Formats: sequence, structure tokens, C-alpha cells
Amino acid sequence: MRLKYILLLAAASALLAMPAAFAQTAKLETIIAPPTQAASQVAVAAKAETASTADHSKFKALQTNFKSGPQVTEACLTCHTEAAKQVQHTKHWTWESVDAKTGQKRGKKNIINNYCTSPISNEKDCMACHAGYGWKDSSFDFAVEKNVDCLICHDTTGTYRKLPGDAGHPVYERVEFPKGSGKFVEPADLKKVAQNIGLPSRSNCGSCHFFGAGGNGAKHGDLDSSLQHPGKYLDVHMDEKGLNFTCVTCHVTEKHEVSGSRYNVAAAVKGPAHLRGKTDASPAACQSCHSDKPHSGRMDILNTHTAKIACQTCHIPEYARNEIGTEASWDWSQATVMGADGKPTTRKDSAGRRAFDSKKGTWVWDSYVIPEYRWFNGDSTYKVIGDKIDPGKTVQINEIGGAPNAADSRIWPMKIHRGKQPYDKVNNYLTVQHTGGEDDTALWHNYDWQKAIGAGMKAAGLPYSGEYAFVSTEMTWPVTHMVAPEHDALSCAQCHSENGRLQNIAGVYMPARDRNRLLDLAGWTLVLLSLAGVLIHGGLRIYTSKKKEQLK
Amino acid sequence: MLKAIVGFVAGVAVVLLLIYNFAGSLMFREIPSPFGVEETVARIQQNILNAGNGWSLSGLRNAAKPIEMDGGNVLPVLMIEACSTKYSGPILKDDSIRFLSNLMPCKISVYKKNDGKTYIGMMNAQLIGNLFGSMVGEIMGHVAADQAKFIVFDASKPAPAMIKGGSGGGGPAAAGAAGGC
Repeated sequence: MRLKYILLLAAASALLAMPAAFAQTAKLETIIAPPTQAASQVAVAAKAETASTADHSKFKALQTNFKSGPQVTEACLTCHTEAAKQVQHTKHWTWESVDAKTGQKRGKKNIINNYCTSPISNEKDCMACHAGYGWKDSSFDFAVEKNVDCLICHDTTGTYRKLPGDAGHPVYERVEFPKGSGKFVEPADLKKVAQNIGLPSRSNCGSCHFFGAGGNGAKHGDLDSSLQHPGKYLDVHMDEKGLNFTCVTCHVTEKHEVSGSRYNVAAAVKGPAHLRGKTDASPAACQSCHSDKPHSGRMDILNTHTAKIACQTCHIPEYARNEIGTEASWDWSQATVMGADGKPTTRKDSAGRRAFDSKKGTWVWDSYVIPEYRWFNGDSTYKVIGDKIDPGKTVQINEIGGAPNAADSRIWPMKIHRGKQPYDKVNNYLTVQHTGGEDDTALWHNYDWQKAIGAGMKAAGLPYSGEYAFVSTEMTWPVTHMVAPEHDALSCAQCHSENGRLQNIAGVYMPARDRNRLLDLAGWTLVLLSLAGVLIHGGLRIYTSKKKEQLK
Repeated sequence: MLKAIVGFVAGVAVVLLLIYNFAGSLMFREIPSPFGVEETVARIQQNILNAGNGWSLSGLRNAAKPIEMDGGNVLPVLMIEACSTKYSGPILKDDSIRFLSNLMPCKISVYKKNDGKTYIGMMNAQLIGNLFGSMVGEIMGHVAADQAKFIVFDASKPAPAMIKGGSGGGGPAAAGAAGGC
């Protein structure tokens, strides 16, 4: 009975408190302003303030009714004579990256990734994200300067779009995209676009990097379209109403070579913040502005962490911090599975993201993802086309370098993307498959793995045994964008606890996570001895005082 | 006599301490979900719609959004609001207990914690109902029985779509390429 009254009191208190809590929630929600309109106003204002020394609409070479992208490039090159040559030395053009340490040729052209696998034999589709025109097969001439696409990075009108199937050319005629969707993409006015160019904005870079792997946020997890107009919570540097960084604020570019690459990550930068104008080996690193001892005052103890922990580990507590989410896995083994009626089908997950497609298999998505943590020194060794695999194990698409006690290694947050991919059962290597297109060997046309792999391997110049199966794969991505405000950084206890964020990180002693039995024993012995001392002392005092009373 | 009084007071203090410690966990439950946040929400919503007894969805509130708008971050917290006119009607008709409208609509929260797992939080309607007399106790008993069914999932069924879920993000790219894979 008593319990009932006490519970009643507790419940009544809770009820009294609830309206106040709800009132607070309502108040908070009324603060929310429609973000898109405000954001676009900021963007317009920012554009108006751009103080370029050149009005490109006044250039005679750009007062032409251009019919194609290459025509525009030819016009650009009349003034920017070296631009195409510079671009042709970059990964954005070659889709190739050479590891300076090992000589391994990586890049989209050479590796098989964990998503769309390989662009080989699928160039017409994949080259929607190539900074060039006309790469439709292996005959593409990388020396032709007019095939460099200036506009994909420099358009400021937001009307220039490249779609799969056009080998990197922009939309020249009104087209339905995706096919059967009832949505149409209008051709860009190339003259207008050419006359309105500028430094790359977040939207320029994001048109490919936000939509990698064929879906918004699918590939990276720390890059998606929410970064076009980000709030402070999402990225403290890119905050549209705050610092408003664009991608190139950090990814400083020289001769069109964009700094900061996942192929060569600056994982353990040391030293002070760099002065403006100073030549910098890694301008895209946090330390370039913040130094390797960024904490001051009461927080300066955190500077002792920077020899072991990357800035990103604490300051990006979760990635994909929005409803867009990111792809956690892609299982190609489910591709070609048809619906109940025997026809190709698709399915979405509860949040409306792609979950299954007879063309591509199954996907699992997640939002607000807690990273996995790894030692990382910036190096990655990739599985390139033709590399042998052990199908009995999970194939690591890229193996990251780094060790606990190495001076060049830090604990980094990672996105680990898991999947299943086809491999040649006899030759034991991952296969290249021809997916896109309308021809008879395209997987997305005839749903025949044998034909698709046969065509893909032929294009890649590799023998195919005719036998395939599926193998589990993993690809590791360092997380480095979506930096949260400082008050949202990880707290001490989130790592310094037995089941904390770094519970699986080996090779480093972490107080509260790890134990030294000898130290524990010594500590507890001291505690027990102190307790015993107090008890004995107190006992003796009581005993002697009673004795004294008896004697009196 | 003094010893008896001291013993009684000490006993009361111990009981109060125990209640203070455990009342929270008695009044609220937390259950891990085998699914992600969105799918858990969608499956609960579907169960509510299929529950009968006058249940309908009243809304889906994202408690993390106002904090994001204020420049902060919290892990996602979605609150499913559901109401049954069959159960709310009798309570709202009675002036003496109409203040219980503060508990309406019923809420089930779905959230992610730092272990990366999804959890379901809900009130112990039965226990709370019993505190307000037999009529409320009986009604809340029915509510509790229905709520227990809301969180029974059939994993063999495909994930339904979340109702009133926001798309988030900034919409399509303003310019450039569209991934085609």
C-alpha cells in the first residue's frame, strides 16, 4: 500500500514535469526556419560578393552558341592555355594513382571497388563522373585537350549535368532520367554556363563525390548532398551560416592537382599550424590550421592524445549524420534475382533508400553511424584487377597500413563497407563484369552473369574460366568530413571505459579500459590497509576510553 | 521502544531508497531492437495500424532535429505517437482524471545508443494506470497489452516504409553528374 502511494507521488511529479518538457520541445521546434530558402539566399549573396577580375560574358570566345562540351573547352583554352595539360596530369582525368612507396597503380581504372566494382566495359555510364568527354571504351585518347571537361568543376549556374550512358558528355537534349521515372533533365545552355564559371563550389565537387556508387551518400558516408547547405551541427567548417568552407578551402589546388586524397592520406601530421602562403605538403589536414597541439587552457591535456589519436576520432563522433545515411553493405550475389512474377523488381528500405534491385542486388543502409576504429598511417594497398584472392577469407579491397607503436600511425575512424562480389573460381581473382548498356552482354539488360562476366573480363584483358561464385569483401574508408562542433566531440568516458569506442584497439594502454593486475593489486592493498588502519585505530580508541571509564 | 522506532525509521528509509533506485526502471522499459532505427519505427507503426482497438498513428517526432537546428548533435531519437479513441475516450470524459491527457498520445521512442544498437523505450502503462484507480487501471491494462504487441516483429516480412519520415539532406545536386550505377 505504501509503495502504491509513493509510486503515485512519483507519477504525479512526472506528470507535472511533462507539460513543461513538452512546452520546451514545442518552443525549440518553433525556432526551426525553412532551411532551403534561407540557405539559397546565403548562396546567392555569396555569389554576388565574388570579386572576380574577369567577366567571362564579355569574352568574345565565349559568345558562341556552343553545341558540345569539347567546343566550350576549345574556347576556354584560348585564354587558359595550360589548363587542359594540367588537368591531364591529375587523377580526375587519368583515374589512376601510383603509390609512391610501392609503385602500385591504383585509381578507379585499376582497382575493383566494393560498390559498382569496375568502370572497365562500363565506361559510357561511369564516365558521367569523369572530368572529360568521350571516354566510352579503351580507345579513349587521353592526350586530346578539348576532351577535358572544364564545366563540371567550374559551372556556377547549377544547370550543367552529365548522365550515365553519355560517356561524360553533358545533356544535349531533353531526356527522361531515370528511364521510366517521368522526370526529365533539360539540356544546359552551354553558352550561359561558359560565361558563368567560377571556383568549384560544394555542389560542383559534390555532383560526383556526394553521389558515388550511384546513390546519395552511398559510398563515403561522410560526404552526401546534405553538405551542399550544411548546418553547424553537420560540419562546423562548412556551416553555411558560419565559416561556410567549400571543399577547396581545405583541398587547396595547385595546377589543378587537388590536395588531399584517400589514396595518400596525411594520417599523422606533426608540427605547428602553417602560415598563409607557406608551401604545404598536406593542406587538407586538420593540423594545417590547428597544429598538432590544438587544445589550450584546461583542455591542454588532450594534446597528449594527438601522438596516438587522429583529430577525426574525437571530432567526428558519428558519420552520415542525417536521414540520407550511407550504404553499409552491397551484396551482388542477389543480383538477377527476380520478383514473384519472374520480372525484375526493386525494393526500398523503411527510410526510402534502395534496398534491392534485380539489376544490382541488395543493400543495407545506416544513418548516424558509429565509426569503427583502426590504426592508420595513411597508406592503402588495393586489390587491383587480376590480383589473386583467397576465397576462403573475406577479401580486403584495400588493406590499410599502420601499427600501434609506429610514429606515423594514429587511431582513425573508419567506415567499413561490406559486400559480396563475383570471382573467378578457377583463377581466384575478382571478376570484371559488364553491367550498363543495352547490348546482350550487359547484366542490367539480360540478367545473365555468365555473359556479363565474359564481356567484362574480355574488356579487361583477363582470362575467364567460365566458373564464378561470390566472395565476401570489405573496403575501408577513413572518415574525415562532417566535423562536429567542439561540444559534440567524444567525451573521455566514451573511450576510457571497458565497452567504449576503442574497446577493440590493440597496442595501447588506456586507463579505465585496460587493467594492470599488479597496479590494481597494489592499489586495493593500500585501500584495505588504510581501512584496516582506521578500524584498528578507532577500535583501540573505543577500547581504551572504555577501559579508562572502568578504571574511574 | 526507542530501538523499535529507530528500526522502523531505518526500514522506511531503506524502502524509500530502494523505490528511489528502481521506480524509474519500473515505470519505463527499454528493449533492444534487432533492426535499425527507421526499420524499427516502420515495423512498430505497421503493428499499430494492424492492432485494431481504435489505434491510429498521431505522428512521428524527431527529438534530435531541434538540437541539430541549434547546432548540436545527438544520436537519432524518433518518437512514435499513437492513440486509441477506445481507450482515450473514457479517460477524457472524466473531469477528475482528465489531467491524464498529459500522457496522450501514447509514445514509443526508438533511438540509437553509443554502442551503435537500436533501442525501444516505452512507458509501463499498466503500472502507471494502476496508480489512478480501477477504471484507469483497467484501461491502461488494455493499453499495455496492445503495446506489448506493437513491439513483436516478424522478421520474415519485408521492411515496410516509415510513415511521415523526412528525406533530410539538401535535395538533388545543383549541378554536375548523376551517378548511374
